Amino acid sequence: MTNGAAAFPATRREGSFEREPARRVFAGELRESRVHFKEGQDEKSPSFVLLPTGACCNRVFFVGTLTEKKRQGEQNLFYRARVVDPTGTFFVMAGSYQPEAMQQMARLDPPSFVAVVGKPTVYQTPDGAVLISVRCESITPVDKETRDQWVLDCAAATLDRLEKAASTPDGERARKEYGMDPAIFRKMAYEALAQLRL
Amino acid sequence: MDFSATAERISQKVVSRGHAVEKTAIETKLRRLVEEFGVPLGEAERTVTNELAREFSIQGLQTGGPGEAKTLDALAPGEWVTVEGKVVALTAPPSPSISQTGIVADTTAAVRFVIWSRANAPVLREGNWYRFESAVVDQYKGSVNLKVHSGTTITEVPAGGTIKPVITPIADLCPGIASVRGKMIQEWEATHDRILQSGLIADETGSARFVTWKEEGRERLNPGTVYTIFYATVDEFNGRLSLTLNTATVVPEEGDIEVNRGDTSFEGVFVHLAPGSGLIKRCPVEGCNRVLSRQNYCPVHEIQPTFQYDLRIKGWLDNGVETREVLVQRAETEGLVGMTLEQAREIAENTPLGMDEIFLRFRDALLGRYFSCRGREMDGRLLVSGCTPLRFQPERLADLLNRAGGSA
Repeated sequence: MTNGAAAFPATRREGSFEREPARRVFAGELRESRVHFKEGQDEKSPSFVLLPTGACCNRVFFVGTLTEKKRQGEQNLFYRARVVDPTGTFFVMAGSYQPEAMQQMARLDPPSFVAVVGKPTVYQTPDGAVLISVRCESITPVDKETRDQWVLDCAAATLDRLEKAASTPDGERARKEYGMDPAIFRKMAYEALAQLRL
Repeated sequence: MDFSATAERISQKVVSRGHAVEKTAIETKLRRLVEEFGVPLGEAERTVTNELAREFSIQGLQTGGPGEAKTLDALAPGEWVTVEGKVVALTAPPSPSISQTGIVADTTAAVRFVIWSRANAPVLREGNWYRFESAVVDQYKGSVNLKVHSGTTITEVPAGGTIKPVITPIADLCPGIASVRGKMIQEWEATHDRILQSGLIADETGSARFVTWKEEGRERLNPGTVYTIFYATVDEFNGRLSLTLNTATVVPEEGDIEVNRGDTSFEGVFVHLAPGSGLIKRCPVEGCNRVLSRQNYCPVHEIQPTFQYDLRIKGWLDNGVETREVLVQRAETEGLVGMTLEQAREIAENTPLGMDEIFLRFRDALLGRYFSCRGREMDGRLLVSGCTPLRFQPERLADLLNRAGGSA
């Protein structure tokens, strides 16, 4: 498996639909992401989050433990959930624009292993803090083995990104925007993997 | 004496070069030359043509004299040419405005030809050699095509040498006429009433789809048999090449060949299950097989209350860098979701959600899980012939720990 040098194709074919891949990213890395942008001017053009390891992502895939789930709102009902991986917590939301995900969420009971596909969005709170949450497209119950497979997959993807970052425009951009030491993320991957050995 | 056909031929040539010319004026000149001065018609045609060529400063308008015929491999779209070749295939004309279509070959190549009804051309017979004077070369569906119109003269000529069709490797096919040697590796269900057979044919270099339309005297190929196919028509359809065998002479062969099935494999996670997955209903009309709507409506055959059930997976497999659309047919689907068609049908009939229940169960069994699929890629979609769930690999953990810790 190779990690994407180009997070999105530089030349998107006119009229053709290309599904954005779901990046594997640890909660610990996603939490650090701040830079988000839109490709193109269109209302429907995809939006991306720049990961500190140097890849743009429009969609993410992760597997972790659902630890908390809350139903909120009255008119606009939505679910807010926390999914934990070995490096931190993902904040997951499913609202009325994701009816399937809402129904899936309704049937889940924490704690349980879940696989989530969704789109990351960056929010700024009134007091200036930046939050990143994942708008859920699907959340399905899975077993521990799938979780372990994901940790391997995600660690490999993270290391791939780190290795490629030196030579890609996205890597360059991430260094400029975040200026973070790559060793942090290598250590994060190592610690996530080390937990599997226990 | 009638000069209108000759006049028409000359005027078409001039008009094709972008000059306006009076057909009646040409006719008058011809008549004068022939009737007043006793010039043979052929010579009169040449004289008038040359005169017009000078008048409009057109190069190469001259009618080709004997021996100036081009070879078929040298044709370029837009040219007016004289060629000689053997009619190696005749096909049913697709429209009443066309009198004959087929393939003409010489020792260098083969091309499709079209004779318009208005051309008043003689009826060509398969196996005979003909000379086509002033035919037009154009491009149709990406391949060179010889058009016979009212300005073309066709005469039968003696055989011009032995034609040995060149066998093209399937990977090197391009639109036009080609001969291939390959094995029929797959037969597909007909998607149209007029299709006699469609499927895949492969050789050592690759595979291509083929189709034989229903027509008198056409036969099906047998799966697993090797055939030499002379003069198939190669078309491009939706960006993929397809061989039409109606023009071809198909010769079964002894023995077997190694084929390249063009299989690819892809590992990833099911990130999306598309509508149309799960239990579906298909149109029972022979050769149709389309998926019916909830109300049992077939887009072609309307309401079909006696549908057939089927199981399939339509979804997206994602490896984190790339995402692929996959289509899994029933046989493989049953194993993956642990449910047979019969069981699915029973569940659907006995639960309030009906067919939706099957979709939901498929989703829970597949989404977010790792699979390895292999199959053929077609129109950007992987048609899966084998799919297995992936397991946790402890040796990969060790490798990754070394990789993450090694250079920290």
